[in-house]
Amino acid sequence: MEFGHFLSALTPLNLGLALFGVIAGTVVGSIPGLTATMALAVLVPITFSMEPASALILLGAIYTGAIYGGAYSAILLNTPGTPSAIATTFDGYPMAKRGDGDLAVALACFASVFGGMVGAIALLFLAPPLSKVALAFGPVEYFWLSVFGLSLIASLSDGNLAKGLAGGAFGMILSTVGVAEISADIRLTFGSQVLIGGFGVVGALIGLYCIPVLIDLVAVPDRHLKVEDDVKSVRIGEAYRIAMKSKFNLVRSSVIGTVVGILPGAGGSVAGLVAYSEAKRTAKPGQKFGEGEPDGILATESANNATVGGGFIPTLVLGIPGTPPDAIVLGALLIQGVRTGPSMFSQSGSIVYTFIYGLIIATILMLPAGLLIGRYAYKSIVSIPKAVLVPAVGFMTIIGTFAIHNSVSDVFIMLSLGVFGWVVARFGFKASPIVLGLILGPIAEQGFVQGWTIGAATNNLLGMFFGRPISQGILAFTLITLFLPLFLERKHRKTARKTNQ
Amino acid sequence: MINAPEANSQGQMGSLLVSFFFVIAGVVTLYDTTGYTDRDSQVFPQTVAIILIITASISLVTRFLKPSDEGGFGDGVWWRRCLLIAAMFLACFTMPYLGFLPAGAIAFAGGLIAAMHDRWSVGTVLLYWVSGAVTMVAFFSLFKFVLLVPLP
Amino acid sequence: MLRRSILKIGAAFALAATFGTVAQAELDGPVNYIIPFGPGGESDISARLQQPYFKDKFGEDLVVSYQPGGGGAVGWASLNGLNGNGQTIMGVNLPHIIIQPAQKAVGFTTEDLNTFYMFHFTPDAIVVAADSPYETLADLVDDAKANPGQVTMSGSGKASANHLAQIKFDKMTGARTTYVPFKGTGASVTALLGNQVKAQWGYTTVGATQGEAVRLLAVAMEERHPLFPDVPTFKELGYDMVGGAYRGIALPNTASAETTKMWSDMIGEINADPAFRQKMLDGGFALLDVNADDMDDFIAARTEEYLADAREAGLIN
Repeated sequence: MEFGHFLSALTPLNLGLALFGVIAGTVVGSIPGLTATMALAVLVPITFSMEPASALILLGAIYTGAIYGGAYSAILLNTPGTPSAIATTFDGYPMAKRGDGDLAVALACFASVFGGMVGAIALLFLAPPLSKVALAFGPVEYFWLSVFGLSLIASLSDGNLAKGLAGGAFGMILSTVGVAEISADIRLTFGSQVLIGGFGVVGALIGLYCIPVLIDLVAVPDRHLKVEDDVKSVRIGEAYRIAMKSKFNLVRSSVIGTVVGILPGAGGSVAGLVAYSEAKRTAKPGQKFGEGEPDGILATESANNATVGGGFIPTLVLGIPGTPPDAIVLGALLIQGVRTGPSMFSQSGSIVYTFIYGLIIATILMLPAGLLIGRYAYKSIVSIPKAVLVPAVGFMTIIGTFAIHNSVSDVFIMLSLGVFGWVVARFGFKASPIVLGLILGPIAEQGFVQGWTIGAATNNLLGMFFGRPISQGILAFTLITLFLPLFLERKHRKTARKTNQ
Repeated sequence: MINAPEANSQGQMGSLLVSFFFVIAGVVTLYDTTGYTDRDSQVFPQTVAIILIITASISLVTRFLKPSDEGGFGDGVWWRRCLLIAAMFLACFTMPYLGFLPAGAIAFAGGLIAAMHDRWSVGTVLLYWVSGAVTMVAFFSLFKFVLLVPLP
Repeated sequence: MLRRSILKIGAAFALAATFGTVAQAELDGPVNYIIPFGPGGESDISARLQQPYFKDKFGEDLVVSYQPGGGGAVGWASLNGLNGNGQTIMGVNLPHIIIQPAQKAVGFTTEDLNTFYMFHFTPDAIVVAADSPYETLADLVDDAKANPGQVTMSGSGKASANHLAQIKFDKMTGARTTYVPFKGTGASVTALLGNQVKAQWGYTTVGATQGEAVRLLAVAMEERHPLFPDVPTFKELGYDMVGGAYRGIALPNTASAETTKMWSDMIGEINADPAFRQKMLDGGFALLDVNADDMDDFIAARTEEYLADAREAGLIN
């Protein structure tokens, strides 16, 4: 942790690699279908000929840039570029539609840098104690965490709870299609081999979010996004003031992101959703989440970038990768001859610390790089005529989906899901509950099956699901999130009635 | 264009149909679970399918008892929507035979025609098609040569 | 360039010497090495260990990409549709490629896959946390016999190597343990370290990555693993268990005999490199050399064993 590691991270080569990594990562992340995992896998052979620390800095910078880049397409096209940015669409796209896309992009940048810093600092100073969180989370805790995530459906379903829940349940059923992950069956494929792999999250996101936008875009001659008369550059000052006003939201969301990032089974998408849900629960009276509330973007984007640092905690301390990109970095370490696992911090300390400082430097570089790229991304999206924008985005969805598995049937599934999603959304079944079910379904199922198996074996089912302190805590938060709004509304109505009398 | 009363009945009818579809999806799932060998694979889909059937039935019944004109496809030009989707599906089906770029060009052309609401002029024709070709080749090269995705 | 051509000429001569024909197959540019799982698992780590040696010996990049889906089935079902010119290869895993097609139509059969080399296996091992009361395998078996079903053991997936090992071991000892499936070895180790379960059906690789944090009770090898000289084999303790998860590489079945031969030789050459062997052993892997010629017999023997075990356990009909 000495200062020497910081200096060794600061070589011109490492700085250059960090900058390149952040830029490349941002571009990769902003293209739906291209994931950080893919970019990292391609780059690993290049890092063989590098110093271990430089290689790691490059990989870490790409990862952190990609998580931020996912916000661009979420805000400007309603399509999360990475699953981490799902909750960014909730408020980002409404903001862009009303002409505040530039502001939203700048907000996302500030939030991402802030969250990234919190995660990286936690990694630097608190990694060994925090890694215990990963171990304290058992199957039941994952189950309740997913239930908490699903409780967000209640507030996303615009007053029609039955439809929201039906969408969520349908999403969870979609998540079970294909070869079951932890049990020995092939489910709901109806004998077709197209469905063996199930509905992948990345393809489903593209289908359910992007295709409906395209269908709606071509149908009417209006512009894609509303543009103010004078196209300003990214509204940095304004974004900074909003972010400063929401300091508490930023800190809370970053902490949530760090902690959820530590959990190997969760990842950036869950972190973003949990942070969004918390921000919404504690909303001030004037805030309208889901209709373009800046705090929604701040919460999601700070949380998902905090998972980068958080995810490296179990990776480096326990040798257990939190997310697929973490796993690639772990593999790259292994090839470089670094022993991973519990002894890594003590034995290969200098590489590890140089890497952490590199991650911090990359996060800081993301501020100028992100604002600059964001400005161009916004300007080009608003100024490209719709007649070119639609086919270009359409082409991108096809090539991006194909690249996930090099498979045409993925493209077919994506398009079908897109048309389906467009139709049902027209009749009140929105895409977000379905996506929530799809993402949280496997976590819920695995946690439940494992918890049930262990509980039944030890004759302690009730204690297993309701007796563990962390579970009780998450359950309490879930109940508060679900019922506090109802309670407050009733109280509000009562007082209103009283004043009327 | 669709006139108002028709749109109303479309909203009502469509909502009923979509809810009904979800109920059916739940029933199909329940039926499918009977064929699993592992009890662990059954529990979750069965539970969720029951939730789906209940919630979708609730929205079906409430909508049936309280008809409203909520929902519907709204205004917009159908041939454009259909052209876009048809072109993308066509690209998907022809990709293994034509190769990625020609198939992608079909999708692009369909999307371009579907999204073009202004009048075509020589300038726009040239500009749009050329920029389209450049975009496609750029993305194709990025995926094929930088990211090493084996595109057909 | 020069070194590469010398190598190629050398390889051609070697082949010509053994077979009297000049092999026509050769590499042309980077090779796409598809792992049909996500990164971080044993398949990924072993492929990554091969990567630098491949580049070093044959001058081309081995580019690892991930196509997770359907427990590997999506990748294997797509394999034979890929170009068989030798520029694309895919990792294959036992028992997956035997059990999956036996369960349902998954788009490929075991025989469809042109598996040309099995290069290592991760021997089954029973792992406990360092602070576990089980000091020896006998402690665990005694506890499981005294409290049937109460000894919970995590493992990666169902109908997997871990699960089959658990079924087999329970049958041998007459004890009854409870198998708790997790998504991958990483998740199953996490559950072990967090004391969510009492023991783990894992591999020797877990001992290598987790070091002091865990203790291996026994390994399913013929002889002790060099990395763990103090850990007995199941055989020493009186249980006839040798096996684990086997990993190899396959080409699309359109690949010519020359291409298959070339690949089998190349992977064999990497496997023979002492530095590579050492890295694999340090990672807890056990090396294996089943080349293209011996593959059919190897797969047939494995198939018989896996299907018998799985049928008995009710995993397949």
